[in-house]
Amino acid sequence: MRVEFMGIARERAGTAEVTFPAATLGQMLAMLSTRFPMLGDIVNGERLQPAFVANLNGDRFVSDPATPLVEDDSVLILSADAGG
Amino acid sequence: MAPSPFGYHGHCLRVDLSRGTSERTPLPERVLRQFLGGSGLGAWLLLEEGCAGADALAPEAPLAFVFSPLVGSPLTTSAKFAVVSKSPLTDRINDSLASSGFAIAGKRCGCDAIVVAGRAPELSTLIIDDGRIRLERAVDLRGATCGEAERALKARLGADYQVASIGPAGERGVRYATISHDGRHAGRGGSGAVLGAKNLKAVALRGTQRPAWAHPHELAEYSKALSKRSFGPATAKYRELGTASNLLAFNRLGVLPTRNFQTGTFEGASAISPEEIRQTRSRTRASCVTCTIGCEHIYALGDDEGVRIEYESLFALGSLCGVAEADVVLRASRLCDELGIDTISAGGTIAFAMECAERGWLDAPWLRFESGRAMLRAIELIARREGIGNLLAEGSRRAADAIGHGSRAIAPQVKGLEIPGYEPRALQTMALGFAVGARGADHNRSGAYEVDFSEKVDRRRVTVDAVRYAIETEDRAAIMDSLILCKFLRGVFGDFYAESAEMLRLVTGWDVAAAELRETARRIVGAKRRFNAFAGWTPEEDTLPDRFLETALEGDPAAALSRERLETLVAEYHRQRGW
Ligand code: SF4
Repeated sequence: MRVEFMGIARERAGTAEVTFPAATLGQMLAMLSTRFPMLGDIVNGERLQPAFVANLNGDRFVSDPATPLVEDDSVLILSADAGG
Repeated sequence: MAPSPFGYHGHCLRVDLSRGTSERTPLPERVLRQFLGGSGLGAWLLLEEGCAGADALAPEAPLAFVFSPLVGSPLTTSAKFAVVSKSPLTDRINDSLASSGFAIAGKRCGCDAIVVAGRAPELSTLIIDDGRIRLERAVDLRGATCGEAERALKARLGADYQVASIGPAGERGVRYATISHDGRHAGRGGSGAVLGAKNLKAVALRGTQRPAWAHPHELAEYSKALSKRSFGPATAKYRELGTASNLLAFNRLGVLPTRNFQTGTFEGASAISPEEIRQTRSRTRASCVTCTIGCEHIYALGDDEGVRIEYESLFALGSLCGVAEADVVLRASRLCDELGIDTISAGGTIAFAMECAERGWLDAPWLRFESGRAMLRAIELIARREGIGNLLAEGSRRAADAIGHGSRAIAPQVKGLEIPGYEPRALQTMALGFAVGARGADHNRSGAYEVDFSEKVDRRRVTVDAVRYAIETEDRAAIMDSLILCKFLRGVFGDFYAESAEMLRLVTGWDVAAAELRETARRIVGAKRRFNAFAGWTPEEDTLPDRFLETALEGDPAAALSRERLETLVAEYHRQRGW
């Protein structure tokens, strides 16, 4: 599955996206925090910090670490505050 | 006379330009506690004036600069003021906010609000020097840009004056002209045209009168702690990238309004994104006075001064008009700032005209989507009200009525105010917020998009469950706009109402509880609605243009909002509001 970083998450990760296998959202986030220590103020274990949200395939927002993921899924990580 | 409460002067200054008179009228403590300041107190003042039926550009229609209990305190982001009047664009109430030294200077003039009515005999500057009032000729400033006028007046009067001015657009009555101060704008709804109709080029203020605070030491401590919290992750987006960072995220989610709301994705988004723009341009950061967040990102543009870029300008002058040239979008944004035009309404009206031209409804073949040159030309014409600019200076709703062909269906507005950069079919809680907004389609008075960007709702299939969330964001905005604090601070608060009550207690000494502030929020929203009712509002106005209710979003068939669904949401909103 693919992780797409938007905004601050992209700044911290230093890349727009990354691909690796994960069966759940929690697993994916845990792997992210290991691979990208600079995401420390965004990812906290199997969850995102409150200022950030995850979106599945550009469709629904998800936070439950048990949310299942499949190979074709794309998880977007973006700021929770969409104020403009 | 009763002593003024802590945090307030307890007075409003009312200036009648036609008569050449002024008076100080007391503001009872009861009223200040019920309406706080800013937008809330402004709504109360307009209701007291009894002017809802007057034409917004008539001399008798007042315009109020309203300050707040928190301005002048060390609380971060509190240096803000509201400009409240009837809108010449919507014919409904308009409250637009701007920041910085003008807010502090206004409060130091010894009043909580300045109400301006009447019309000066010639183009003038209203000068308030510590409570002493005079009018000065400003005919030499006719045609000056906002920045030129401000600089000229500071040079003439002294650098310690704070100046709010209009540009050529305000002088010519462009219905979405802004009032500018220090490069920031009270932008939406045409308050610049109202000032222009009063023959005022500018208002210049300085003063020395500071109201006392009830608990100054505790307030200083609280402010320090709040500033510290404002450096955290909740505001990182604003500090590091600015609001413009919404652009790519919104494009990826399919909610970036493009080519007059025909689609929600723009193939040129990358080219105009801040991520791309900063690769080739230097960038500096700035902030309003007293702000510790500093969301302003200023990009260099050729040899000239830089240009502040925010999401709403990028979307309105970029994707909405199909323009993918970063340089042109930056230039257009700066042009709007200099001429004193709201970028959202300018982009919305031009994009609408582009679609009309494409459909053959408007004889302007040069006005094409994607043409940056055409967009820049249209902005100049609007500010001068020349040629087609005279039509577009009226805003998209009035322009649609003149164009005919049923073009109202695609005019991107609610109550006449052009829709900001959130696609309503794919963000349906926001669609409700736009529909019921007292000043029209508005992302500042309703933050309902927050709900769509969460797990609380399915943003493309919103049900009546979303209504209470939309009300919550509208109520919270009413408090923030009345205290006044910057919305970009909101993520910092754990319990918004409890913390707001505490700030108010420290400043005023009132024993305010969170529950009282919730009541205050509803009272303020209700006061705006009451003004609108006097101005002729009917429930049928709380809707969206037909385009959004009759066609799904191109490329996203699930993003469809039926008329029935919106009507159900609006009816439930009215029921919960008790209207
Ligand atoms: S966050 Fe931005 S808009 Fe808000 S007060 Fe600070 S600089 Fe001004």
